Amino acid sequence: MSQKDNKSLEEDTCALDENDQKAEDTGPTETDDVEAEPAAMTRKRPESKTSEPSAMQEALDQKVQESSSIKQSQTGWGYWGNWGKNLLSTASATVATVGHGISNVIEKAETSLGIPSPSELSSEAKNVTEECQNSAIASDCKGDPENPSPSITGAFGMFSTISTAVQNTGKTVISGSLDALEFIGKKTMDVIAEGDPGFKKTKGLMNRNSTLSQILREAKEKEEQRTATEVSMATETKAHYGLLFDEFQGLAHLEALEMLSRESELKVKSVIGTLSGAELDALKAELEQLKEAFSLAEFCDDEEDEKEEGEDFTREIKGLFSQLRVSTKPDKLTQARSSACELAHSLSMQTAKEERPKEVDQQVGFGDAEQEEKKSVEDIHASAIRSLAELTAYSIEVFHKTAALVLHGQEQEVLATDRAKALSQMTIVLCKELSFLSKGFATCLTAAGVEEKGDVLNPLITGVFLEASNSASYIQDAFQLLLPVLQLSHIQAQAELTQ
Amino acid sequence: MDVEVTQDYQCVGKSCLLLQFTDKRFQPVHDLTIGVEFGARMITIEGKQIKLQIWDTAGQESFRSITRSYYRGAAGALLVYDITRRDTFNHLTTWLEDARQHSNSNMVIMLIGNKSDLESRREVKKEEGEAFAQEHGLIFMETSAKTASNVEEAFIDTAKEIFQKIQEGVFDINNEANGIKIGPQHAATNATLAGNQGGQQAGGGCC
Repeated sequence: MSQKDNKSLEEDTCALDENDQKAEDTGPTETDDVEAEPAAMTRKRPESKTSEPSAMQEALDQKVQESSSIKQSQTGWGYWGNWGKNLLSTASATVATVGHGISNVIEKAETSLGIPSPSELSSEAKNVTEECQNSAIASDCKGDPENPSPSITGAFGMFSTISTAVQNTGKTVISGSLDALEFIGKKTMDVIAEGDPGFKKTKGLMNRNSTLSQILREAKEKEEQRTATEVSMATETKAHYGLLFDEFQGLAHLEALEMLSRESELKVKSVIGTLSGAELDALKAELEQLKEAFSLAEFCDDEEDEKEEGEDFTREIKGLFSQLRVSTKPDKLTQARSSACELAHSLSMQTAKEERPKEVDQQVGFGDAEQEEKKSVEDIHASAIRSLAELTAYSIEVFHKTAALVLHGQEQEVLATDRAKALSQMTIVLCKELSFLSKGFATCLTAAGVEEKGDVLNPLITGVFLEASNSASYIQDAFQLLLPVLQLSHIQAQAELTQ
Repeated sequence: MDVEVTQDYQCVGKSCLLLQFTDKRFQPVHDLTIGVEFGARMITIEGKQIKLQIWDTAGQESFRSITRSYYRGAAGALLVYDITRRDTFNHLTTWLEDARQHSNSNMVIMLIGNKSDLESRREVKKEEGEAFAQEHGLIFMETSAKTASNVEEAFIDTAKEIFQKIQEGVFDINNEANGIKIGPQHAATNATLAGNQGGQQAGGGCC
């Protein structure tokens, strides 16, 4: 959104509002056209699903409204100091205080300027509160004014970013003119763009020093904490990706894989440390070559011819796995994938048939199909998230087992580079599969939720795409952890050759 | 808490112990453990919910260099031998050294003599196990993964011991390398511990 500098504030505010809407609806607007979201392509790992953007949204709403109310009431500069402070404190305060914060602003404006409160102002404040509530509902009730703490925890980092942004621009505001507000608007949008998963820019916010399993663990713990305080939200828990991922031991395998990776890395470094001259150069070149096999080509999932028959994935994965020549089989993974596909299929059958009670529940089995009620969109969402978590956990388990067996090192007749290529191909297949599955689930949700309101359905669909995209990121990150392992196995194989 | 357990049936029974503890069932035939497998269970100690995350490490000698990598980050370990096979008992010293060398020095180690249901085939006397444990400062227990005898006690006693060490301040709970992670706090007064008792139950050099 590039705006001319001299554009009026009002226009700016409108633009913000539009954008605001857009940001929130990134996923949802695609309800009718679900293929549009390339879930598997993104490389990002936001920590806690939708709560972050929604909380951000509210903060933004609030600010936008504040800006416009200020525009109406400002005449003297004495006011600005207060406003800045108020903005700062409300930005980091809870959602519950949003409405309150705004009446505060108005009150302060009144008292400091001595202007009687125009009635529009109060009605505007009311609008804001309503809007906040609306968006709270739209965002999975996470930002429910009654229970603000969860979104705050989730979005805490972001809030402080906003405050800093505002703080930094504060001076400009005081010494500048109305144009400064436009600047704040832009700045805020930038900040939000960074915080919104839909903008695919979250990467920079991540603490690069922490490991992936730590991040996932933290996200899981946050969720546990959240659910501990909110007993009523049982369905939410059911569908929480992090908890499910841990339940399938995905976290443990990831942590174990990280241990093997780290240790291999140390060993590789120590070997490199003992070499010099031509030997060193040769080894470095070889390791570099291995590394190249690990740079995943940007892959697109635009081929629409993609698998109708479930056999493809299983065959492909098995084929690739056999190239690795390790003595384990990816059976759990292929089974998880099959059941996920069956689930998506049966769900779409159900939604296609609408009326009758359907036989759908893969968890419960087919026995009690008769009594089975038509699944609610929440149930479909929960099953979808569960499938994604399961598939991801097993993918990571496969990578971990592969690492263990490669290091175990009794079958070195395969070149490390060949293994790297097979693994990288496998990563691509897995990510495509996740993307494919998420589209399937989104289609089911769309079909099942025709009667639902957008603010119920849209966050669920967004959630599926978001977690599919996260899943793909985890798998790709786990894949990268295999590099030091293969490097070490390469060095060991070379050493055996020379002996 | 992370607890590691290792076994396969031909060996001393680590995976069986884990399965008995987490799923309350006995499965005589297991695939060979590759590297490490996992199990988890919630238990309650002194009114606090604790999640035991158990690492079931491979008992095979050839996996030893890999299982060493997993020792780090364990708060406790269950060292298992088979009472019907003296060789597994004789190997204990090397496994114990391995565990001590590659883990936190405060790690709680419990010695387990498994397959106590096979009394007729017993090769290692209970007193021998007790003596070994006393000599090396371990807790000792005989269990049967098949009949579930003492299985619950073995894991929970290890967890209690770790818990006590946490309360005594022996473990730095802020350092995750100790295998202990503090879980969510329901309220300021009611802290929930979700430590990781990284026990590793290494079978005495079996298979």
